[in-house]
Amino acid sequence: MTAVDRSDVTVAAPAAQCAGLPWGSWVMGAVVAFLCVTPFVLVIAISFGQKVEGAGWEWSFTWANYQRFFVGALWPEEVTFLHVQRLWYSLYYAVIAAVLAVLTAFPFTYLLTRQSRGTQSRWLVFILASLSLSEVFIVMGWDVLLSNRSGLPMLFETSGLTDWLKRTGWFDVLREWGLANPRNVKFKTSEFATILTMSYLVWPYAVILLYPALSRLDRSLTEAARTMGAGPLRVMTTVILPTVKLPLIGATLLLFVFLMGSYVTVVVFAEPAKQTTAVAVYEAVRGSTLNAPFGAAQAVILLLTAAVFLGFAQILTKRSESL
Amino acid sequence: MSGLSLKYIRKTYGDIRAVDNVSLDFAEGGLTALLGPSGCGKTTLLRMIAGLEDPSAGSISLAGQDITRLAAHKRKFGMVFQSFALFPHLNVSDNVSYALTIAGTPRGQAAARAKELLDLVQLSAFADRRIGDLSGGQRQRVAIARALAQEPDVFLLDEPMSALDAKLREDMQVELRQLQQRLGITTIVVTHDQHEAMTMADSIVVMSQGRVEQMGTPQTIYHNPENAFVADFIGKANFFDGVIEGGNVRLGDRLLRVDPPANFIEGAPVRLAVRPEKADLADTTDSSNRLPARVTFVRDVGPVRDIHLETPIGRMVVAYALSELDQPFHIGDDLHVTLPAGAIHVFPRPADEQAAA
Repeated sequence: MTAVDRSDVTVAAPAAQCAGLPWGSWVMGAVVAFLCVTPFVLVIAISFGQKVEGAGWEWSFTWANYQRFFVGALWPEEVTFLHVQRLWYSLYYAVIAAVLAVLTAFPFTYLLTRQSRGTQSRWLVFILASLSLSEVFIVMGWDVLLSNRSGLPMLFETSGLTDWLKRTGWFDVLREWGLANPRNVKFKTSEFATILTMSYLVWPYAVILLYPALSRLDRSLTEAARTMGAGPLRVMTTVILPTVKLPLIGATLLLFVFLMGSYVTVVVFAEPAKQTTAVAVYEAVRGSTLNAPFGAAQAVILLLTAAVFLGFAQILTKRSESL
Repeated sequence: MSGLSLKYIRKTYGDIRAVDNVSLDFAEGGLTALLGPSGCGKTTLLRMIAGLEDPSAGSISLAGQDITRLAAHKRKFGMVFQSFALFPHLNVSDNVSYALTIAGTPRGQAAARAKELLDLVQLSAFADRRIGDLSGGQRQRVAIARALAQEPDVFLLDEPMSALDAKLREDMQVELRQLQQRLGITTIVVTHDQHEAMTMADSIVVMSQGRVEQMGTPQTIYHNPENAFVADFIGKANFFDGVIEGGNVRLGDRLLRVDPPANFIEGAPVRLAVRPEKADLADTTDSSNRLPARVTFVRDVGPVRDIHLETPIGRMVVAYALSELDQPFHIGDDLHVTLPAGAIHVFPRPADEQAAA
């Protein structure tokens, strides 16, 4: 009797597995695939559609939207690079802001990992909490801070710093950089303010991304280097940076891709001539120009650009690993 | 004199004294083992010598120069870490030549020196390998070669064998000792393994609770322990508590003769230690220290036989080389054991255990 019971159990268990789990996972997989893939497929499909003047758009298969992006709407009579230029600004802001965030977050995170457990926890909780601030909230804060009437420029003027800059000749340099008008310094609108705010926006992410790698860094590696004659700077350049090279590249890439889609910061701080593709996409889909197929084409190009960069980084990483 | 000398070194972490008033002179070209249980302060002491920790008090000098506050990278002390701390982003050869590269030695010259050192540790065929591709023993050799590259004034090793398996450990102990003797470099090894210390060291420093308990040659430490801790930590010993009576020791109704007579005041509480191999089961004429005993357990440990006995003064273990005594022992056998007067070590009983006794 016992033997029979046991055989029942052993037969029943695989049967239950066959009957229950695969179907469940098939359904789950289908739902996830539907939710993940459908929006992308729709955007790609719409990017081949065409705008109907005065109405919406219609399904079609035309490369016109992509052609317009690279050479302008009037090609072949006239060639314009307005949209390529916007893509360039997307890349330009995102690369510099991501690199700046990682470069400044790195020393901070490294020093953080050298602190006591309690201190580390308090800082990490604070940094995680700051992630809850939305982009709109942060941009609003920086908008006030950098505004000509009430922010830093006013402080420069009332404290006499502007006069000092004028006397020492630095004011002319700032004007060349587009950071001053004839009367006072100005940060809005400027590349400086755009990049600074973008960097600020992702700085906590940079810390969170670098923290695991740096806290795992074996302290005896740096100590070994010290006993072999390496001073602090040499330890940093010959041991720490090479050891955490991959996490550094990874964090920079992730922030770069994230920043490619920045919208509010660019709208508020970038000059009208230096707006990005992300802003243009929104304008085309919901804003003034209202051309969904062209907006979709720009979104696809932005996505592909990010993918190309990620692929390129992957190749670089593989190559450095095999060396 | 190598000139490496520690004077009244102390290291405190809050209320905890990790190293307490340690003064030591290290013999030039000799190998000294810092030996003690976990948490006795031996690694902290080594790290202070390396310059990786600052002493709370005291001074460290090398060839008469005070180096107490000298940064680690200016000391020119080679160190092998417990985890070996090899750089994963460099290959074997680049790891070994790291110190030379840092010092600005031309690349070719540094590579040649690395090759020479890898020859020394028999790893020349591995120069281009990645660290991840090496076994534990090979990693240790690379770590040793790397620490020797800068021709250090003092060679420091922190538990260098702890990551190796037992067989490899034995081989490496001999190999490291031979290498050290060939190079004649002043070496300090931290270990918690007494066998390792006895195998390699010219001199052993036994530490406990941040203090030096005894310093001496392995033979001195083993045969003439200065206190009960050393007798217990180095080798095995049978311990008995008694009181002094006329230069001998009374344990209950037995009076054990000790030679030379114990230099304690009359009635002082003491602790006796007898090495298992010194107790004698063969008939002897020393009848004063002859005790009746009953065998409670017998085990053969390789070449040695341990015989556990119950005696009127307490339990003890007697060890015999198997070739030395082929008499069979069985549990329950009644016999006599003699504790030779010259083999009994008498120590003051630790103060915290006197009240309990």
